[in-house]
Amino acid sequence: MIKANFVGSCCHPSPRSRVICAGGDCNIKYAIQGQNLSYSVTVKKLIGVQKMVFPILKDCSLHVPVGQLWMLLGPNGCGKSTLLKILAGLLNPTSGNVIVRKPRSFVFQNPDHQVVMPTVEADVSFGLGKLNLTADEVRARVEKALKTVGMSEYLQRPVQTLSGGQKQRVAIAGALAESCKVLLLDELTTFLDETDQMGVVEAIRNCLGGPDQVSALWVTHRLEELKYADGAIYMEDGRVIMDGDVSNVAHLISRKQADYLAS
Amino acid sequence: MSCKLCSSPTVSFLSDSGRTSIRQSFRYQVPFVISPLCTSSRLSWSGKVPKPPKRRSLGILAMAQGNGEREKWLMWLPRGPVAERVFRLIAGAMSSPVGQYVSSPVTFLHVVDSRVKLAWLLALVVLPSRSHIVMRFGLVAFLAVMSVWVLPKDVWTDQLGRVTLLSGILFLMLGFGSDSAPPLVQLRTPPPSLMGLPELPLSGYSYSILKLGPLQLTRKGLSVASTSACLSFTIFQSASLCLTTTTPEQLAYALQWFMIPLKFVGVPVAEIILTLLLSLRFISIVFDEVRNAAMAIVSRRIKWEQLTVMETLDIFIMYVRRIFANIFKHAEQITQAMIVRGFRGDSNIHKIYFFSNTSFGIADMISLLGLLGLIGASIVSEQILV
Repeated sequence: MIKANFVGSCCHPSPRSRVICAGGDCNIKYAIQGQNLSYSVTVKKLIGVQKMVFPILKDCSLHVPVGQLWMLLGPNGCGKSTLLKILAGLLNPTSGNVIVRKPRSFVFQNPDHQVVMPTVEADVSFGLGKLNLTADEVRARVEKALKTVGMSEYLQRPVQTLSGGQKQRVAIAGALAESCKVLLLDELTTFLDETDQMGVVEAIRNCLGGPDQVSALWVTHRLEELKYADGAIYMEDGRVIMDGDVSNVAHLISRKQADYLAS
Repeated sequence: MSCKLCSSPTVSFLSDSGRTSIRQSFRYQVPFVISPLCTSSRLSWSGKVPKPPKRRSLGILAMAQGNGEREKWLMWLPRGPVAERVFRLIAGAMSSPVGQYVSSPVTFLHVVDSRVKLAWLLALVVLPSRSHIVMRFGLVAFLAVMSVWVLPKDVWTDQLGRVTLLSGILFLMLGFGSDSAPPLVQLRTPPPSLMGLPELPLSGYSYSILKLGPLQLTRKGLSVASTSACLSFTIFQSASLCLTTTTPEQLAYALQWFMIPLKFVGVPVAEIILTLLLSLRFISIVFDEVRNAAMAIVSRRIKWEQLTVMETLDIFIMYVRRIFANIFKHAEQITQAMIVRGFRGDSNIHKIYFFSNTSFGIADMISLLGLLGLIGASIVSEQILV
């Protein structure tokens, strides 16, 4: 097991906070484990020494089994994206522990933020730059990843000529090319129409499981996407309210919607 | 200015110095000025209370010699429908930058190695300035034919049209304007008789080629004009041809190949190449941002004709500010994406893979032979043709 302490942009660096990434050889039951995670930001006042602390995440715990697709739901501003960024190592939790299988990949909500190279093949291969691979290996990985997301005919296309859905699939291919074991997906289908939405869902389902036991945690607002998930987590006001069976979470959300409409 | 009813001071913000003043004025026409401090009974006596101003607007009045006349430059400021047209023009513009890669149809130039294309680019920049006028126009004709042959019709008509217009203007301006330069900046070579050289036989020679009223086209003007116009044409059109038939990665690969020797003198080649690639990606993002922000303003259905110059300018400033804010946000997000994807800030460690075909084929050989032939012809033309 590889232990890594990330010095991130957290305002409360605490000796208790750490992110632990599990290596591929470690036989663990869960792909993602978060225990008592908290995260807060501090705003310094211009005059005076008083600081204001805003808690974003409050004692969150979650467990995503290997080879499964789990969805993370909740209202806007409840801390879903923050939690995902902590799992990706972009933020350091104020307290609590995280165990994530490695290698992991993060796909942003807006594909324009994810795609960094001007053409499709260059972008998909960008993440492989840190690995010591031959050109043939890189080419094979790029072609396989693009085939998985149905974009194998777009190798040399300039990125700006692609539609939103196609860009999103290129972003996913970039994550898949790294042969990651955990996919962290932040509202992938926000900008997509129904056809592209289905294309992206299928691309994710295609790459789950397999010999690498790929797992995914998907932040979403669309309840209709829940049917593709193996499990779900519901958050509210920085806390995990419920996690586990999809039908239970869907029932909870439906009940909350009904209460809101009745009030 | 004082109130017409009670002689109290009125609200007026008028600067008393300079050619330009800012004043706060009511939009509707008031027959006379009434002070807000006015307590005159004549208002209630008449039974008519003046309608309160609905809105105040801040306007610029440019005064010439302080007499309140508007300066002509105000007419040039984008106001009302003009401002709307500007935003509509930006919003309706193409999202893709000029000279982007055209992947299909695959032509001869798509197959040629990017390094050979860069060598051609360099030659086309140097040759027009160092060869005979016949060769210059020959190069222009060659590039025009290549563009028509290689590029789709929509692309070449657009490109050739703009470049020809620019080069044409340059040719006319320099051709007819070269000899109007002051004699001090011209070459002052003494005549051959003063230098003890024999006079050249000048049968049929005329320095002036064409006279058009006060303008004249001389041999010197023709030389300067043809060099400048042909150079502009070849630079722009050859660059367009190269960009439309070569992917950014192939260009970066070629540049890296040529820059490898510079590594030994400490030039950060890997960093330059990564920066180039990121810039090429970012250009499209900037174009999109500019277009989207303009579209957001157009979609608000602003009544431009009711806005003053200051309010219109305010919207333009907000527009520019929004573009910069969005671009910086994009840059921040792309930085995060690069970190997530394993980039740790060292371009030498994080390898960039180029999938360009590096094998030297027949097309490359033909292209290189053509380049050598062109250079040879250029040298010979300079020696033989007078």
